Amino acid sequence: MDIRIDQLSMVFDKTTAVREMTTTIQDGELVSLLGPSGCGKSTTLMLLSGLYKPTSGTIYFGDKDVTKLDAQKRGIGMVFQNYALYPHLSVLKNIMFPLKMQKVPKKEAEIRAKEMADLVQIGHLLDRKPGQLSGGQQQRVAIARALVKKPNVLLLDEPLSNLDARLRLEMREEIRRIQQEIGITAIFVTHDQEEALSISDRVMLMKDGIIQQESAPQNMYKKPENEFVASFLGNPPINLMTITKSKVADSYRLEDMDQTINLPALPPTELQTVRLGIRAEDLYISEDNPIFHGKIIHIETIGRDTLIRMQVGGITVRALVDPNQQLQIGDIHGLGVHPESIHYFHREHGKRLPLQKRGGMRHAKAHVEEHA
Amino acid sequence: MRKEALSKGTIYVLLSLGAILMLLPFVWMISTSLKAPNEVMAMPPVWIPSEWQFENYSSASEAAPFGTYFFNSIIVTVLTTIGELLTTILAAYAFSRINFHGKGVVFAVLLGTMMVPGEMLLIPNFVTVSNLGWIDSYEGLVIPWIASIFSIFLLRQYFFSVPQELSYAAKVDGCSDFKFLWYVMVPLAKPALITIALLKIIGSWNAFLWPLIVTNSQELRTLPVGLSAFTTEAGIKYELLMAASTMVILPMLLLFFVMQKYVISGVARSGLKG
Amino acid sequence: MQKPTWKSTLKGYLYLLPALLILIVFSIYPIIKSFLMSFYTDYDFFNDTVNAYGFENFTKLFQDPNFITALKNTGIFVIGVVPLSIIISLAIAVLLNSKIKLSGFFRTIYFLPFVTSVVAVAIVWSWIFHSDYGLLNYALGLFGIDPINWLTNPTYAMPALIILSIWKGLGFNIIIFLAGLQNIGNQYYLAAKVDGASAWYRFKHITLPLLSPTMFFVSIISIINAFKVFDEIFALFNGRPGPANSALTVVYYVYQKFYEEWEFGLASAAAFVLFIIIFLFTIIQLIVGKKFVHYN
Repeated sequence: MDIRIDQLSMVFDKTTAVREMTTTIQDGELVSLLGPSGCGKSTTLMLLSGLYKPTSGTIYFGDKDVTKLDAQKRGIGMVFQNYALYPHLSVLKNIMFPLKMQKVPKKEAEIRAKEMADLVQIGHLLDRKPGQLSGGQQQRVAIARALVKKPNVLLLDEPLSNLDARLRLEMREEIRRIQQEIGITAIFVTHDQEEALSISDRVMLMKDGIIQQESAPQNMYKKPENEFVASFLGNPPINLMTITKSKVADSYRLEDMDQTINLPALPPTELQTVRLGIRAEDLYISEDNPIFHGKIIHIETIGRDTLIRMQVGGITVRALVDPNQQLQIGDIHGLGVHPESIHYFHREHGKRLPLQKRGGMRHAKAHVEEHA
Repeated sequence: MRKEALSKGTIYVLLSLGAILMLLPFVWMISTSLKAPNEVMAMPPVWIPSEWQFENYSSASEAAPFGTYFFNSIIVTVLTTIGELLTTILAAYAFSRINFHGKGVVFAVLLGTMMVPGEMLLIPNFVTVSNLGWIDSYEGLVIPWIASIFSIFLLRQYFFSVPQELSYAAKVDGCSDFKFLWYVMVPLAKPALITIALLKIIGSWNAFLWPLIVTNSQELRTLPVGLSAFTTEAGIKYELLMAASTMVILPMLLLFFVMQKYVISGVARSGLKG
Repeated sequence: MQKPTWKSTLKGYLYLLPALLILIVFSIYPIIKSFLMSFYTDYDFFNDTVNAYGFENFTKLFQDPNFITALKNTGIFVIGVVPLSIIISLAIAVLLNSKIKLSGFFRTIYFLPFVTSVVAVAIVWSWIFHSDYGLLNYALGLFGIDPINWLTNPTYAMPALIILSIWKGLGFNIIIFLAGLQNIGNQYYLAAKVDGASAWYRFKHITLPLLSPTMFFVSIISIINAFKVFDEIFALFNGRPGPANSALTVVYYVYQKFYEEWEFGLASAAAFVLFIIIFLFTIIQLIVGKKFVHYN
């Protein structure tokens, strides 16, 4: 079942949590709502569930307008951050609860609940009370309870944030497996970008109640549509700097610096000043054709990666480099980048700008003047 | 060196002495209730009757309709307790989970009325009840007492401790407000509800002034009113009087022994609000 | 939280309806009515009609020597019960709190009178107070004290009432004090012990100051409850306010005027005076209680 959201807004007292949101979620898709806290992702989920009613706008489940429908009539399943299991009921009774509310005969309800418990692999815990379960087990029960009534949509509100790191990884895969096994449309709210990028078919990144970008995870990472998306995704965070056109044609320099930088791809020519973004892993040590030079001020080896910090004029640039390279603090090196890994954003509104391929790139000489 | 004011032994002796003083009236009551008339007035006092006169209890019941009183007390206690639980559950839910216009004002007014002593309400309530034709009826004994502001506050606090997510989960699972209240909140609030019920049972079993003024006939007297009337009716037969007193006191003592942790937690909470 | 809508408002009041109905009819309306009734100077109860209003009830009230006696007796009763009860219950609570075995058992025993019918225990005590065959006079006799006419001598009626009331109310105060004591963190005592403070010093300089909010609460509640004493008197003195009105209290006075003499206006005026007194103490509690809050 498709979910269509049209011009959806939600205003609390004076703050606008969701602002004129319009989007569509395809049948069987797992979509993540990602964003910093207060961006409106949880409110969006509450609106989809019917637990909140929007200030304006419409929500369609399939062809049906469900905007005014109460939560209990929407046919949704929901999993909460704190699991929200009924503490006084056993695991089996918890899973059976939605069926009891639908007046499903007890026998049948029990069979369906047990099937669901097996699907989430807690069939051996049916007589326990929630208080006797670990966080991961509780989350499985919560998922079984959400799915047992065969909902049209599964909503998950930060379902993994109360689990420890290893369990989070395991449950994340579990959720994906279960979702694909039953082919349900699922919406997953999280503030954790890694979670969102790894689990979903599509990610919607929100800020201030507005969807900043919605696309497949890799696409969002590779082609951020604005500066916020670029800066929100990625660890270490993307290097962002302001560059200004210098008097010489096609040449730019870092703001407040005289160092001219040697860009393999150029921003639209009509703009005097733009923002430049390059991810740390897209930079490499290059003495032949560097965009700029800098002094290594910090070296950090984490597992298989080596992260260096370089002083380039007044700014610090992070780069993930080949760990086999012999580097030392204080060394001066050039940093190179492939043209397709360069992102330009508008200085004022942050929108992504198209690249201008440089004509004779091969002939552009490494032209660096340092005035340190 | 530890400097304790009193040794453990001294503490035990002091507490035991106090406990004996607390228990003495009850022991004396039961002892007298089982004595033959000649032993009742014996000096020095006889603690253990030479022959246990259990027939004192049946004599007392014959001298006055204690069976009827007992029945009335049970009816009134059960009805007021069930009634109060129902009104309290609904009201506490409204105050803790439903957003409605005027909630703050209604709450403040109720809070304010808690400061008014019940004795002040006696006369107008008597007038109301007699206008309703409820003098000498179960309605008059029960209905004015089936709502309690204190209980509503106590339960409301308890309901607040139930996480909001649980009510969201229940709604998604297909619960209306009422079903959520009935299937989730009420089972979860069982300890608080037991406390409220016990305090109500004790209060209504022992209530005196109101039953005294709204009952005229013997048929509707509750135990304390009947017992009080019996003091004049029985004259100075102390063994019968003590047997009757035992009948009034014993059920609450037994109830308290079994459920004391709920009673005490309720009383302690009434203190912590200060 | 979402804003209230008309739908949720309707639902809210629907849930409140049963409780509100009872409370409005039997708690809120009577407060107003009681206030009005105290100004009824000519009232026909059978037809529920008022022929005249005025302040006469209040002037009559304060000219009635019985009411003055009732006020005086209530005052004596409060002074007789409250300080003694607090001292005894605090001492017992401190002893119970001293990490001994059986403290739960003792607590249960001290609490027993609280759950029992005032009327029934008052009758038991009237037997204990019996001048010829009573347990108390027998015990006093062992110390060479002559029998006292507890319930028939106006001098001793009030002490008898006070003894009964202290015995009955001790358990409640003990429970509240215990709750207060258990709220005091152990670290203060450990620190004081390390500093070599004596037990008495610790009690005076740690327990008492930290317990002061509880003490204050118990005092006010005790005072308010003492002002409302009635059942004990009725049962102890067999439906009389003691010999020669020696145990006539304000609530008893209200009962007499209202139920025995059908003086609704006068009774309401007396109840209103009681309300004012209790209200003042409640206000004191609210104001002073706020100041104490930072202790916890």
